[in-house]
Amino acid sequence: MANNPTQAKLTLIEQLKLQVGHISNRIEEEGKAVFGEANVLSTDEITDLSVQFLELMVTLLDTENPLDSHQPAFRALKTFFGNISQQIVARGGRMEDFVRYMQFLQRCFIESLGQDEQVAPEDMRAILLLLSSVFNELLLAVFQTYLEEKERTIEAQQRELRETSTPITEIWDGVLTLPIIGTLDSSRTLLIIEALLNRIAQERASAVVMDVTGVHTVDSQVSHHMIQMVRAIQLMGATAILTGIRPEIARAMTSLNIDLGNVTTRATLSDGLKEAFRLLGVHVSRAA
Amino acid sequence: MNVGGIHLTRVGGGAMLAEPSRALDLSDTGPVLEGLLAELQAHKAERLYYDLADVPVIDRLHHAWLESLARACRAINVRMICIHMQPTAAFGLATFLEAKPSYDTALDMEGR
Repeated sequence: MANNPTQAKLTLIEQLKLQVGHISNRIEEEGKAVFGEANVLSTDEITDLSVQFLELMVTLLDTENPLDSHQPAFRALKTFFGNISQQIVARGGRMEDFVRYMQFLQRCFIESLGQDEQVAPEDMRAILLLLSSVFNELLLAVFQTYLEEKERTIEAQQRELRETSTPITEIWDGVLTLPIIGTLDSSRTLLIIEALLNRIAQERASAVVMDVTGVHTVDSQVSHHMIQMVRAIQLMGATAILTGIRPEIARAMTSLNIDLGNVTTRATLSDGLKEAFRLLGVHVSRAA
Repeated sequence: MNVGGIHLTRVGGGAMLAEPSRALDLSDTGPVLEGLLAELQAHKAERLYYDLADVPVIDRLHHAWLESLARACRAINVRMICIHMQPTAAFGLATFLEAKPSYDTALDMEGR
């Protein structure tokens, strides 16, 4: 008779050991059906998964308090599931399938216990409680890993988007162009300034043409960022040329008392490039 | 020649190059300023290139020193040009600078 958690886990380990072959076969079959058919995991990987899972589970149940999520055995099991879920998501598998698979693992244990008439109902209750607690923790850990992975992906995509949305190009020896499209917020401006100043130092650029044709709205903060950007370029010893300021942006900047007196401005990117060439003493003409 | 932690070199064409070292004490720049101006006058300099290649950050104290040196240079008809400003220094300076500084800036001595 086992009506306490310690006895419950002993009974569970005993049952697991007795039925390990049966449980292992079932979870392997289910694994093949769920992940094998979708080519998310290979047959070998599914077999490894089943063996490792059972080993880690027995190790966890063998510890003094299997529900202590800080102990190494629990962390190992969490890491194991975390890695598998990461692998499945990375290979295009569905998280939902993995969660269902984990529920199947739990059901497998419970069903195997139900087949044994030696297990008393009160033992069964304690075992069920233990199993559901352990699996709930594991599901939470998997969910956490999934969220972290998603966040990392979103961050990487945002970073890539930011980088591609501010393409700094050396259009001529010593002339950089930077078309700015979209909204200029503080974090994006900092990224642009950092990238731009480094490129000026790297290319020894004398002129930077910043085209803001793609900027549709401007507020005091954005104007401040633009002035800051121009000032930093000038401090590096290069000339900043601002082009493509739309009438509504010019109007907004005037009403915001933004002084562009120290900034060279031109109507279009083409005019800006001509000005940059003029500063460098470069003359571009049609071939006769 | 060395003036209070700043190495001064004649570079020809009426220009001198100032290269500050870590020995420059920004809390007591009075004597350094006088020494530099005396050298500039003695060599009949028209331009002073102040090399910022080894200055990764320009804080308000450092900026105040550059400002006072530039204004003092202007008083003796010498144009001060800061060269080789590092991206980190330019970025930091742009965040607190409210007006155009008294010194000019250039990428290098060729004025590129």
